[in-house]
Amino acid sequence: MNETFVIVILVSAIFYGTPLLFAALGEILAERSGVLNLGVEGMMLMGAVVGSVISSRMGGPGWLVLLVATLASMVAGALTALLHAFATITLRVNQTVSGLALTILTGAAGLSSYLANVWELKNPAIHQFARIDVLGLKDLPIVGPLLFHQTLLTYLSWVAVAACSWYLFRTRTGLNLRAVGESPSTADAMGLNVARTRYIHTMVGGAFAGLGGIAFSLSIVPTWVDGMTAGNGWIALALVIFGFWRPVWTMAGAYLFGALSSLSLIMQARGFAIPPEILNSLPYVMTVVVLVAVSAGWSSRKLSAPDALGTAYEREAR
Amino acid sequence: MIRLEPRLTRPKWLSVAVPVGSIIVAAILGALLITLSGNDAGATYGRIGDRAFGSVTAWSDTILAATPLLLTGLAAAAAFKMGLFNIGGQGQFVMGAVAASGAGLLLGDLGGFVAIPAMILAGMLAGAVWAAIPGFFKTRFGTNEVITTLMFNYIAANIASFLIFGSESFWRLLTGSGKVFPQGKPIAEDAVWPAFGGGGFNMPLGFILGCVAAVALWALYRYTRFGFEIGVVSDSPEAARYAGINVPRTGLAIMTLSGALAGLGGASDVGDIRHLLDPKGLGQTGYGYTGIVVAALARWNPIAVIPVSILLGALANAGRSLQGATFPAGLVGTLQGLLLFCAVSGEFLTRYRIRRGARRPAKATAEVIGA
Amino acid sequence: MTPGGTGADAASAASPGRHSTSDAVSGAHPAVSMRGITKRFAGGVVANDGVDLDVAPGEVHALLGENGAGKSTLSNVLTGLYRQDEGTVSLFGQPVSFTSPKDAIAAGVAMVHQHFRLVTKFTVAENFLLGSGGNFDAKHAAERITALGKEYGLEVDPNANVWELSVGEQQRVEILKALDRRAKVLILDEPTAVLTPQESDALFATMRRMVEDGRSVIFISHKLQEVMKVSDRVTTLRDGKTVGTVVTKETTSAELARLMVGRSVVFNEDDIEDRPEADPDRLVLDVKNLSADGVRPQSSPKNVDLQVHAGEIVAICGVSGNGQRELAASIYGIRKRTSGTVAVDGVQSMAKGPRESTKLGLAFIPEDRLKTGLSASLPIHANLALKGYRFPPMSSGPFLKHKVMRANAEDLVKRYGIKTPSIDTPTRVLSGGNVQKVLLAREIGSKPHVLIASTPTRGLDVGAIETVRSLLMDAARGGTGVLLITEDLDEAMALAHRLVVMFEGRIVGEFLRGDFDIEKIGLLMGGHTDKDGAA
Repeated sequence: MNETFVIVILVSAIFYGTPLLFAALGEILAERSGVLNLGVEGMMLMGAVVGSVISSRMGGPGWLVLLVATLASMVAGALTALLHAFATITLRVNQTVSGLALTILTGAAGLSSYLANVWELKNPAIHQFARIDVLGLKDLPIVGPLLFHQTLLTYLSWVAVAACSWYLFRTRTGLNLRAVGESPSTADAMGLNVARTRYIHTMVGGAFAGLGGIAFSLSIVPTWVDGMTAGNGWIALALVIFGFWRPVWTMAGAYLFGALSSLSLIMQARGFAIPPEILNSLPYVMTVVVLVAVSAGWSSRKLSAPDALGTAYEREAR
Repeated sequence: MIRLEPRLTRPKWLSVAVPVGSIIVAAILGALLITLSGNDAGATYGRIGDRAFGSVTAWSDTILAATPLLLTGLAAAAAFKMGLFNIGGQGQFVMGAVAASGAGLLLGDLGGFVAIPAMILAGMLAGAVWAAIPGFFKTRFGTNEVITTLMFNYIAANIASFLIFGSESFWRLLTGSGKVFPQGKPIAEDAVWPAFGGGGFNMPLGFILGCVAAVALWALYRYTRFGFEIGVVSDSPEAARYAGINVPRTGLAIMTLSGALAGLGGASDVGDIRHLLDPKGLGQTGYGYTGIVVAALARWNPIAVIPVSILLGALANAGRSLQGATFPAGLVGTLQGLLLFCAVSGEFLTRYRIRRGARRPAKATAEVIGA
Repeated sequence: MTPGGTGADAASAASPGRHSTSDAVSGAHPAVSMRGITKRFAGGVVANDGVDLDVAPGEVHALLGENGAGKSTLSNVLTGLYRQDEGTVSLFGQPVSFTSPKDAIAAGVAMVHQHFRLVTKFTVAENFLLGSGGNFDAKHAAERITALGKEYGLEVDPNANVWELSVGEQQRVEILKALDRRAKVLILDEPTAVLTPQESDALFATMRRMVEDGRSVIFISHKLQEVMKVSDRVTTLRDGKTVGTVVTKETTSAELARLMVGRSVVFNEDDIEDRPEADPDRLVLDVKNLSADGVRPQSSPKNVDLQVHAGEIVAICGVSGNGQRELAASIYGIRKRTSGTVAVDGVQSMAKGPRESTKLGLAFIPEDRLKTGLSASLPIHANLALKGYRFPPMSSGPFLKHKVMRANAEDLVKRYGIKTPSIDTPTRVLSGGNVQKVLLAREIGSKPHVLIASTPTRGLDVGAIETVRSLLMDAARGGTGVLLITEDLDEAMALAHRLVVMFEGRIVGEFLRGDFDIEKIGLLMGGHTDKDGAA
């Protein structure tokens, strides 16, 4: 039963969707504060490379190495995001250009590859996040493989979705965050520190992207390859829009996109030949459709992007 | 306490000092990085310089590498100057390559005088259309062009990939090694674009077209009514509206022009460099994105794009030919990224002045007081 | 800051020589006592000049005055946004010194601004939670909103999204927020500007309910009718000074109008030599039954008929926000007309937009010089060419003739005495007066049939004001019909052949030169019509 087409698809959807989900969650937080971060792809790669080197070089028990690798990848992502935050919030550089610059700097042909080269990451990571068998239940029909046979990172991502959702919609700080992203002048008038909110959430976004990175380098493709995230960072940007900046919907979207990317392989294995390019294009086409629909006003205002997304904030002279 | 105060005037010397300064700062940071990772910065830079400019052949290679960057740089400069963030140069480039290779394959037998202009036009048209669609969404619905153009990049990449890897299309080589490895069909000899020069030095047609385009763009800005209108719109869309300028139409026109330039770059890639449609290669080299770096360093000035594209072409050329055990991959991208990052960060110095001291008391005119 | 209780009034002794009626009204401390408030801004502007204001507890106190009279500045001092240069502020007998709006809020002073401080995408309850402390409990907030709403007649659905609410309902949310923060003094800045008549009446009922609990409400307005209806006392400001505080029951609209509008400059007919003469036979602007949609009903022009002859200066007077800007914009073609026609020198306008208007000979100087009239960063010669660049000789085919453009710029700079380092200087560097000269030079220089000038002297210093006015007169002498929109009655009376008053989108009165009745004009500007009683 668990070998049926649907289950197999769902399982890989979750597996491949996990890095997307992390990156998208981080981007939600950043964008909710008003900062558009186009450097996600680069931040994922920085997290990936840092996680890889620790896994390859550090000695000690596996769980410790992985823990340190995870934390380090988050720090790497956050520091890269700090550059973006500094440029866009303090120096008022245009957010689009700064994000692009960072992706070029740290991306597939950039710093992450350079570091991988310098650190000589050639072999598969010694310690990886493999799928674990929770409570021995992995063979239960349907729920077995779906819920009880995922990697720790996937479980962590589920916790993250719940935490982000709760944070955004059920806490005061989350409300303040949303106010900053919708109307920084109102937030400022209410005594909130717009710049600080943006810095913090951009960096947290980078940390999440770093987690997405090790979901690749220590799980999906355990040997370092330059640019191994293969555009997932960009898809994450689309995913945020597709999920209407809401963590739970974004999770659904991440798994949908994850399914699409593995769908073509699985279908070919089963004898259906749909060109993978068509399936691969679907997320992008869908995102464009969603974007146009929202901006043309064909959907509720509540579902639109944070009003102040992408704009720098300068307090009006008194 | 350090404060940032907006400048009233932009001194001319800053327009040169900032880009030059950024290059210097980026070079220093790069040297720092190289040294920290245990290599010799001076030697590395020396090798880069040598491979890029050390001989006539090196120069030819550099100019060849600069050609696509020149065109995508112009594309980005045209759009970004007006505040239109066309990230889609990559996709427009690819579509240009698709169209041009198609035209080349179709008309190659009719000789160069037919095939080459056809390739040029096809490339420009394809790029223009590819940019006009997101441009239309932006001017009509206000849809954010950053994400739409980005998405279109991926759709374009998939289209190109489909033509070669996902099907047995017209673009695909179906004989010889093409039966085993999917690859593009080369265009006929006649359809290959000429290069000009002598004594070992060659300047590809694409580069010449790019220079012509740069001058044409500059002349457009300076000498035409349309160029004047672009200037007004980029400074103040409201004032443009009051002056009777059709702002959405101007925006759409610029997006289309930008796409056409990137598409021309794609055509040149087929005509000058690869002579076939190479989706994987196109994806790896990412000319569209690098073009934005070029444009930013050139501060959106079309004439300045020429030397900047040569600089970045030199980096790319050196990086490619030096790739190996002794030259770490990723260094070129890192240096490019540093250049861009320093350039845009330095930009703020032209807009703001750094001041020390407490905030001055509120300066309000009667206009602010109102009721 | 805790408000003091009732007690001896020694601490709030009035400055000598000033007779304040408030001491007679209440023996207890006034809720608000502002004495000798002076506030200066850069450029020599004195927004408040020794202003006194006393507000008793439990009263609705109106603050009356025209634009620029100093009402906003005074309330910004009271709410902690500005610090006064001189003078003292006391609350309930205790002197206070606010360093920021948060201090004022903590002291119990709250203001409902004309531009709301609401996050439109949030619900009402979420907006409530945004600024307040305490637990994050949306249900509790909803309960508070409903309870307060019922008590004060400010019912609003706590779970509604703010962007779906009408402007009047959004205002209710703002007031509820202030009440929730236990404001003892509530300042309402032109609240009825965004309300329908029914909503205004509901607001007045709310105001009375609020003061029944001992609160004080400061009601900033320029509308005489409403001031007479709802306030207990009225303080009138003019040109930054207090001109009088009266008890509402003991005064009339006419008296208030006179106080509000007054005469600050001795107006001498002979000051202006060689007044241009209107040509009664040549109608250069004929507006019939023009209506357009403004943001609010009050600022939407309704069935406006207007005529301007060659050489004539017609002034449209009224407090800003009554549809003048929208009228100008719809005549010029920037704003859509919902009805009516516009003819320039006999030629009908097809409402095609600014290009057509320019072709017809209609020139426009918008109130926002550096944002809509001019392109701030462009060099002066570019801005000076913005009207004519499309036509020969400045362009030939698709090409621009820079030499012609520059010559044009040099010529205009000389003719109009624009002070600038060169014609290549970015326009925003110039002083306000010179920026306006650039705009005028461009628009008048093309010898239009009609020139619409919207508050052209706003924000300028005295010298620049004189220059602008004489340029307008010059234009009229040259045969141009000038439609001058102004908030300055003195300016209107000095320059105009005819004066027209606009209120809530309609033309409510017309006066000819020689019959400028200040009192009547003031009444009409304040919305008072003859049928409301004796003037």
